[in-house]
Amino acid sequence: MESLISFLYSVVGHLLPLSFAEPEFMKRAILAVLFVAPAAAAVGVPLVQFRMAFFSDAIGHSAFTGVALGVLAGIHPLLTMVAFGLFVAWAITQVKGRTGLSPDTVIGVFFSTVVALGIAIISARKGLTRNLQGYLYGDLLAISGAEVIWMGALSASVAAYLFLAFNRILLLGVNEGFARSLGVKGRALETSFALVVALVVTTAIRAVGILLVTALLVVPAAAARNVARGAGSAFWIATAISLVSGLGGIAASYYLDTATGATIVLCAAAFFALTAIIRLALGETA
Amino acid sequence: MSLAAHFHTLEIRNLSVRAGGREILSGIDADIRCGEVTALIGPNGAGKTTLLHAILGLVPYTGEIRFCRSEEHGKGTPRIGYVPQRIDLDRNAPLTVLDFFAISSQRYPVFFGRSRRSRTDAEAALAKGGALHLIHRPLGKLSGGELQRVLLALALRGSPDILLLDEPVSGVDVSGEELFCDFLEQIHRESRFSLLLVSHDLSVVTRHADRVICLNRSIVCQGSATQVLTPETLSTMYGSGARLASHGHAEGHGHLHGKGEG
Repeated sequence: MESLISFLYSVVGHLLPLSFAEPEFMKRAILAVLFVAPAAAAVGVPLVQFRMAFFSDAIGHSAFTGVALGVLAGIHPLLTMVAFGLFVAWAITQVKGRTGLSPDTVIGVFFSTVVALGIAIISARKGLTRNLQGYLYGDLLAISGAEVIWMGALSASVAAYLFLAFNRILLLGVNEGFARSLGVKGRALETSFALVVALVVTTAIRAVGILLVTALLVVPAAAARNVARGAGSAFWIATAISLVSGLGGIAASYYLDTATGATIVLCAAAFFALTAIIRLALGETA
Repeated sequence: MSLAAHFHTLEIRNLSVRAGGREILSGIDADIRCGEVTALIGPNGAGKTTLLHAILGLVPYTGEIRFCRSEEHGKGTPRIGYVPQRIDLDRNAPLTVLDFFAISSQRYPVFFGRSRRSRTDAEAALAKGGALHLIHRPLGKLSGGELQRVLLALALRGSPDILLLDEPVSGVDVSGEELFCDFLEQIHRESRFSLLLVSHDLSVVTRHADRVICLNRSIVCQGSATQVLTPETLSTMYGSGARLASHGHAEGHGHLHGKGEG
């Protein structure tokens, strides 16, 4: 694993021979963003079509409780955060399919329940607050080599999943019955997609924090929607925007001394503004 | 009707669907026959779409839905084509008609491009339905009539044995509706699939349907169009003052299989 990490460092060193990329913690941060940002943006494209931004936000906030549970149980909070995120995603999809309530109502109930649980645990254990800061705002510059490897593995898994399922997910988003007539098993696919989103969200929290994690999924995809004409271009524009804002955000935060996660999201938001202006300029028919 | 009309393609026996502790459909017995146009009519909330969803396997049900293939259609499970009433897309969703064909037919993800086959398939299917000019348009921006043509072209692409149409003429203007019905009649003559059509429009039903099933949570009556569409049946289903003013006798009323059978 050590050799893999040092290999990746040298790759970053060659690709970005700039002063801000010299320290090792910056190399780790850059690698983390190169892995996580495109994965989040790629998942974001179908996520936006499904109108699941609120779902992603709920999973992000469940990390609050996941971390608290980990500290309480003496397990590494990263593990409990991911596990709890997956559990909440699974629970939401199960309950959503079995009640007559609208999806956002079900998600709203889960959202507030997990946040309340997190606050209850944290308030009972006074020492916990210190651990949470890094998760609330993200701590890209403090990421370890092992976490970078985990993010790389996640990125590869998401790519494999989207390779196999992307078409069917889009089809399900158009109409469930129509997808079914072509042999798409809606419920299983929806559950698998929710779990992949949970995996991406909980992993990306280390980079941009609980408060901003949804932006990493939604903003590039939303910006791509402004200018993309088809499904293929929407995918690649979103991924490109996430990469450019990720690297641009790290560089800008280095020189401006601002929080890295927030700077990355601001870059992506600038792309959204830019593409919105392009759309207006080209007229609604574009 | 040729001899093949006697082969049932879809047999529904004692079908019931429950949702949220409420029975939406109960004790449905019906046959959808090969080569025939069967119209499914009934008031709002009668369970018409639910019945289609049960046939598609989208909702859990009790009872039986059997697919029986006639010899001329070959072996294996029958293919079902489905044209939904509406789709869940934003107006600016980045998905063109061609993308829609690609995600429906090709294995590799559409972000790696669209296969030549999905393109030629799309062109052929759309040209047949007079919708080739729509191929590069975003799906979310099509009008009701345009969308129906695209959805129908896609549903027919796999040459289905059974075609389910959920209110195909809703949201379509009158001339578009006639075009759609004529087109449907033409391809139906060519390919002879069994067609189940949900419709609110009794003029469409009388003009195009061989058989009619009246549904209001359970089957009110079924039979040939002339037997079923009587003032009595219509007032049972829609309340008094229903359209169609003729005063014939309610021969087929209550019979599970009308005289058209055999």
